[in-house]
Amino acid sequence: MAATLCRILLPKQGWLPFTQCVRHGSKAVTRHKRPLHFLKQKLMSVTRYIPPPRPAPPGAYPRQTIRDQEDDPFTLLVKKNLKSVFQESKMVAVVQNSGSTADEMMLLKYKLHKHGITVKFFPNQVVRSFLKDSTYSNMAPLFIGHTVLFISKEPKVKEMLSSLRTSRHMLLLGACIDNTLLSAQGVVSYSKLPSVAVVQGELVSGLTLLTSQTAAMLQRHPAQLSALLQQHVKQQSSEGAPKAQEAT
Amino acid sequence: MAASGKVTVVLKAVKNITVQFCPFESNVGSTRMFLSVMSSHKVRATNLNCEVISTVKHDRTEPVVEITYLDGDKLMLKGAKLNCSEMLSSFQSMCAAKELQAKLAAAKK
Repeated sequence: MAATLCRILLPKQGWLPFTQCVRHGSKAVTRHKRPLHFLKQKLMSVTRYIPPPRPAPPGAYPRQTIRDQEDDPFTLLVKKNLKSVFQESKMVAVVQNSGSTADEMMLLKYKLHKHGITVKFFPNQVVRSFLKDSTYSNMAPLFIGHTVLFISKEPKVKEMLSSLRTSRHMLLLGACIDNTLLSAQGVVSYSKLPSVAVVQGELVSGLTLLTSQTAAMLQRHPAQLSALLQQHVKQQSSEGAPKAQEAT
Repeated sequence: MAASGKVTVVLKAVKNITVQFCPFESNVGSTRMFLSVMSSHKVRATNLNCEVISTVKHDRTEPVVEITYLDGDKLMLKGAKLNCSEMLSSFQSMCAAKELQAKLAAAKK
């Protein structure tokens, strides 16, 4: 079978003929790639499949730094909530919850509610970003894993510790009481502190001890007072004499 | 959050697990995750006699997990430089070895 293409001699270079002989080209099914009709060639090139660029395998490049994105409305709402919580409450305790059931949680919430302590859950990421901007930035490392916040307006530490002691799964990590960050041991020692009135009374009594003693002494009988003063002078002189001897 | 996906942790050969960490340090994440995995219901249900004791300290010491087995052996995992999955895999391999030993001992009898 003759499969010869008609060749026309081109008189000049770059001069294309008006007609091109394709009648004696190859058959439809060939072993080589048959030259396509120009229009078909154009169509095929325009509609060529370009596969999507395959991403680099995981771990090939280091992670890009996450640019600061604007917070979505839910995050803003949660942050507002957190801000009000920190402003209104005197005690904010962070507790790690390791596998407590819903029943245990309910019982704990009920026990704490009787003393005015509310149990709140917040997403860790939001809390961390909120704390980063506020004055409580040192609390940020506490918020890893499943954490629960115990919030109350009055610092009721004893009741909280007693209810935590009964629950096996809750672990006290730290607390912010009266704008002071305390560790777990700090919270325990805070609970053992006496009340403010008692401490004030102790302080006042300590300061007025000496003055009260002198007042009591002066109110005694003058003969007794003079005898006491004479004894005091004798003691002073006897102490002064051995000291002078030691010096010489 | 839990590192073990389909592989469950079995505590049959474990007597107790003691976890100590200082929450204000930055290297405590893996230890805390390990503790939450060990305290989950599925894992606790495998051995109800096993106790998980956790202590919160504040002395800048490294987080430590001490596991005591029924035959007296102890496994100490220092979680400061370890990943949660690494801790779990080493714990599981030790547990599997103990179970094998127990099976062999039972078969001999």
